[in-house]
Amino acid sequence: MKQWIRWSGLAGFVVIGAVLVLVWLFAAGPIIKYSIETFGSQAAKAKVEVGRVGLTFDPFGIEIENLQVANADKPMENLLQFERAVADIELLPLLLGKGIVNEVALTGLAFSTTRQTSGALDNVDDADESSSTEDKSESEDKDANTLSQQALPTADELLSREPLLTEQRGRAFKNSYETIKSDSDKAIAALPDSKALASYEDEFNRITSGKFDSIEDFQQRKKEFDALKKRIKQDQKAISEASKVLSNGKTELQNQWSDLQKAPSEDFDNLKNKYKLDGNGVANLSRLLFGDKVGQWSQQGLYWYEKARPFLISDEGDAQAQAEIEVVRNKGRFVHYETDRPLPDFLIRQVNLAVELDVGQVAVKVFDITHQQHVIDRPTRIIATGRELKDIQSLDLTGSLDHRATPGKDVFDLTIKGMALNNYDVGAMGLKLDRSELGIIGHAELVAGELDANTTAQFTRAKFSSKDKTQVAIEMAKALAKIDRFDIEAEAKGELTAPGVSIESDLDTQLSQAFSQRLKEKQQELEVQLKKSLNEKLLSYAGDYKEQLQAMDLESGSLGDKQAKLKQLANSELSSFQDQQKAEAKRKLEQKKKAEQDKAKAKVDEKKKQLEKEAKDKLKNLFN
Amino acid sequence: MIAMLAKLLKALNSDSAPGQIALAFALALITGLTPLFSLHNVLIVFIACIVRVNFGAFLLGTLFFSGLAYLLDPAAIALGESVLTHGSAQTFLTELYQSDFWRATRFNNTLVIGSLIIALVAFIPVLLISRWLISAYRNKLMVWVDKLKITKLLKASKFYKVYQALAD
Repeated sequence: MKQWIRWSGLAGFVVIGAVLVLVWLFAAGPIIKYSIETFGSQAAKAKVEVGRVGLTFDPFGIEIENLQVANADKPMENLLQFERAVADIELLPLLLGKGIVNEVALTGLAFSTTRQTSGALDNVDDADESSSTEDKSESEDKDANTLSQQALPTADELLSREPLLTEQRGRAFKNSYETIKSDSDKAIAALPDSKALASYEDEFNRITSGKFDSIEDFQQRKKEFDALKKRIKQDQKAISEASKVLSNGKTELQNQWSDLQKAPSEDFDNLKNKYKLDGNGVANLSRLLFGDKVGQWSQQGLYWYEKARPFLISDEGDAQAQAEIEVVRNKGRFVHYETDRPLPDFLIRQVNLAVELDVGQVAVKVFDITHQQHVIDRPTRIIATGRELKDIQSLDLTGSLDHRATPGKDVFDLTIKGMALNNYDVGAMGLKLDRSELGIIGHAELVAGELDANTTAQFTRAKFSSKDKTQVAIEMAKALAKIDRFDIEAEAKGELTAPGVSIESDLDTQLSQAFSQRLKEKQQELEVQLKKSLNEKLLSYAGDYKEQLQAMDLESGSLGDKQAKLKQLANSELSSFQDQQKAEAKRKLEQKKKAEQDKAKAKVDEKKKQLEKEAKDKLKNLFN
Repeated sequence: MIAMLAKLLKALNSDSAPGQIALAFALALITGLTPLFSLHNVLIVFIACIVRVNFGAFLLGTLFFSGLAYLLDPAAIALGESVLTHGSAQTFLTELYQSDFWRATRFNNTLVIGSLIIALVAFIPVLLISRWLISAYRNKLMVWVDKLKITKLLKASKFYKVYQALAD
């Protein structure tokens, strides 16, 4: 038997084994440190720095000191940092390449601390930074707009802020008016005046009166007559064109004027709808009073959710797991059996940490952090409980990030009881909530990037006051004095990055009656102011439109007379020389005939007179 | 590679017990056919180190059987699949699965368990057959081979010089 044992082989095996273990012990710390910094930075999109990583042996685990996660949005600030984290790691699963951490305890955890050096990643290019700055400024502008919409603006503010149809159409009308006026003036300037018309008439008479002395005389007159007709026709054409210009211009101006006249009322309706100056809009006081705060809380919640999510779960991990399964199939597959202890590639069973907030300490436990939830068949859970909180009876937050199936579903429930609210500055009309007790119940679900959240806040023993001396503030404070308790329901739905937020409250109903009269008056004042300002704008664009229109009408009338006269002249014809000779002979004949007739008539008359005289004489002699 | 082959030939031609070489081959069957980085292979390497087997034969055998494993893997996976999903074995396998140690052995992988079963089943036959082959080689084949012209040519080659150097 002795000859079968090789002692040198045993020694060699032990030595090689020991060397491997020692190398691993010395290398493990730096390797883990490198992994945390590299993959952590990728997930956080900012520098993740670790002071030291060491191994512990009882229990086996790792100890991380001074970890800092920089804020990608604010490079000179840490998103979070902690002094010490101790992770209890299971040894045997490591042989399978699986990192199973039973518990992580964090101490010295702090948020939003200042950094000495920039935490921005070196490979983030300037374009991204500038675009993010632009985005930020855009979103700030958007916020400013939203905020400004939540306050009651004055008529002047509304008019200066909004693009008005009155102004747009007014400018267009003014431009058209000037163009049309210039065209009309040009067209009218090209027309014959009354002197020209009189000269046409004189010339016409000169040419057509008197007899032709000869054929040459006739031809000369004919030539002059044709030239005159040509000029008359040109003037006729100019008159037609001018009347066309005047008619079109008049129609266009009338149409634009009609649109411009409608613009103030359309603007008024638009402004009324947008700024909800009707009863329902103004009565939505809860948004005005608490909208800012709700928006601020929602943004903070979403900010921390977005920051924490990559560290808690990983959708990429699921895809990776899928890819791994495909590769493993070629090398056989792992058959899994029912067990209380399934082993994903990476799992932190429990993280314990205490967060120091202004209101006190919140103990947070996070269970089952893994990118392979389908293996353990459990979602990642978060439980946060308030401890020794100032002005809050209890605070409980539970969360579940369930990504076992696609799409994943994240659910959060928040319950705050007995929160004392003192000197809460409402921010509108100088209103202040002097004191109140607040209870909040909130529920949020996030599926495939779509948020569906609702929160009910119950205010009891509420007491409001206002330092403003305006009539509105006084009326509001009086109405609020009668209200002891009220609820606010906030709802957020839609894309996680830009959810639609709606706020409802029975405060509206309670206040609307007491406040509606005052609001009505205020609304009427504003409406009158708006209408007045809009009409002033309209008049400023109208200018001497009416006088011009009248002038165009008159000009159109005189154009008709001129046209008729010219038409009469244009239609006249000059007779030929032969015709004129014939006409002369005929005239002479007629004159001769008339002379003969006159002569005969004279004779008859003379004879008649003579007969009358003879008859008178006979009668005279008869009676004498 | 030449040195390793020379060592094997030296072992075959030396006074080493045929059983020691045969056991090296049989152990290499396990490390060769099953995935190399498995916990059971640490045990096999440990045995190969402390038991006086021919280590050169073990390494060469591992290489040889690793090549053979490419052909046998589909059969090993099918066998592992049927074993791991066999109804009557479920209780036993589920119990094993509860232990981190057994899970560290990757027994629930179809290739690991299938190839290990094939290797274990073939262990004794390989041990016996290789032992018989080594004895036969020494008694009959070695004498006949020495008389071959090709052997005489080989003895004049570089390879034989290496072999000689190792033999001395």
